[in-house]
Amino acid sequence: SFQSSDFLFKFLVIGNAGTGKSCLLHQFIEKKFKDDSNHTIGVEFGSKIVNVGGKYVKLQIWDTAGQERFRSVTRSYYRGAAGALLVYDITSRETYNALTNWLTDARMLASQNIVIILCGNKKDLDADREVTFLEASRFAQENELMFLETSALTGENVEEAFVQCARKILNKIESGELDPERMGSGIQYGDAALRQLRSPRRAQAQSAQECGC
Amino acid sequence: FHRVDPYGFERPEDFDYASYEAFFSRYLVVLTRRAIKWSKLLKGKNSIQKSLKVKRYIRKGIPNEHRALIWMIVSGAQTNMEENPGYYHRLLEGEKNDKLVEAIKTDMNRTFPDNVKFRKTADPCLQHTLYNVLVAYGHHNKAVGYCQGMNFIAGYLILITKNEEESFWLLDALIGRILPDYYSPAMLGLKTDQEVLGELVKMKIPAVAELMERHGVMWTLVVSRWFICLFIDILPVETVLRIWDCLFYEGSKIIFRVALTLIKQHQAFILEATNFPDICDKFKQITKGTFVTECHSFMQQIFTDPGSLSMSTINKLRETCREKLLSQG
Repeated sequence: SFQSSDFLFKFLVIGNAGTGKSCLLHQFIEKKFKDDSNHTIGVEFGSKIVNVGGKYVKLQIWDTAGQERFRSVTRSYYRGAAGALLVYDITSRETYNALTNWLTDARMLASQNIVIILCGNKKDLDADREVTFLEASRFAQENELMFLETSALTGENVEEAFVQCARKILNKIESGELDPERMGSGIQYGDAALRQLRSPRRAQAQSAQECGC
Repeated sequence: FHRVDPYGFERPEDFDYASYEAFFSRYLVVLTRRAIKWSKLLKGKNSIQKSLKVKRYIRKGIPNEHRALIWMIVSGAQTNMEENPGYYHRLLEGEKNDKLVEAIKTDMNRTFPDNVKFRKTADPCLQHTLYNVLVAYGHHNKAVGYCQGMNFIAGYLILITKNEEESFWLLDALIGRILPDYYSPAMLGLKTDQEVLGELVKMKIPAVAELMERHGVMWTLVVSRWFICLFIDILPVETVLRIWDCLFYEGSKIIFRVALTLIKQHQAFILEATNFPDICDKFKQITKGTFVTECHSFMQQIFTDPGSLSMSTINKLRETCREKLLSQG
């Protein structure tokens, strides 16, 4: 159903192969667990409008293939992302060890200001856990990331991950730390906000970066 | 028609049985005619020589019962297999690279979960066959190792040949000879061919190229899966197999023919897009529907619609695009 939005944010979902990136996205959009799909090749994308503190934000989410060599292909989509879910699998130390590389890539290629939430996925597989909550939350703190453990299977913390990331971006806009009118911010005014923006200067600024997503 | 197709794939819930039946009853006549022609051509022998006649026959489709054999012969896989007896099994018995094995295992449950033969519970379970072929290949071609996408290709080869070793040698023909460096870590061949397609669209369907440019849509975004998976999971199975018939005989050029036909045929539809996500969506839509399901007429179209497409043009474009990519780092 059609719903107008105040803002549009470009989001990335990144992290090693098999950490459940596509399942998180599917759970977020469809509210269902999907484990009967082929893995992602290249990039897929989906979108959803969320209500964040009374504002409607449309998230345009780019879900990427996780295999190392695809990074050279998927990197070209990072540009102008406002937010990212950085995903590892709590049952796989290897996916956790790769986080620094993903982080460097995201900050270098998307934007220094990109808001990132670290997601320790497969929380439901606690018996096979290889990465503790404490350890990951320290890593998050050191690297200025938000952090949640999620389960694409049960849905736990999935919506929260996307919404918390969006909320932080909104806060940064309100505090003036982020400027939606700056090119490459990954943020645009949505159609609802546009209707309120009557002043010619702003309308002009908008049409310059309009992509109508 | 059953809920599961002859290759083991479950048909989607919204599968249009009525129009498929209408198509298939017409296609069955073609298949019968081709089967008779092919059995005359082969005369019970298990060999053919490359010739214009064979090329024409292949463009009109290889009957399923001969498909594995003809792919083996025209790709050179048969010769390689015969010249290297026991090689495949030695690869499987040799020492394994743990990282490679781990990467392959990660994708086992995510390769054709919609195919009953690839389920963990299937008997025989093609997951084991697939695992063997990929592990052997990764140790055979160490520069490539394992790249996502190879699993789907090997999966199709297994479904068609029903033979592990033949699948290995066909995979080697595709990755080692027919496709130009799509799967090695730098994926330079893939990136090059995506750019080449962009250039060809500029030449042949300029309005679409202009639309992509205006909205800043990179070709890799909409076509990387076409190249990496050779249209698996993009086009209907029967259509993919008909494309592969030509791919094994004529080489990677065929991929451009298919891509250009899809784009040209739907030019007006694509041009309706008014924004970035719209364009992405249109590129998904154009790989669905009767146009692509009707594989026989589709395969006729790919040789007429895009117009002439010489290998020298493609080679030149590959060269300039590769240089451009390398200079961009």
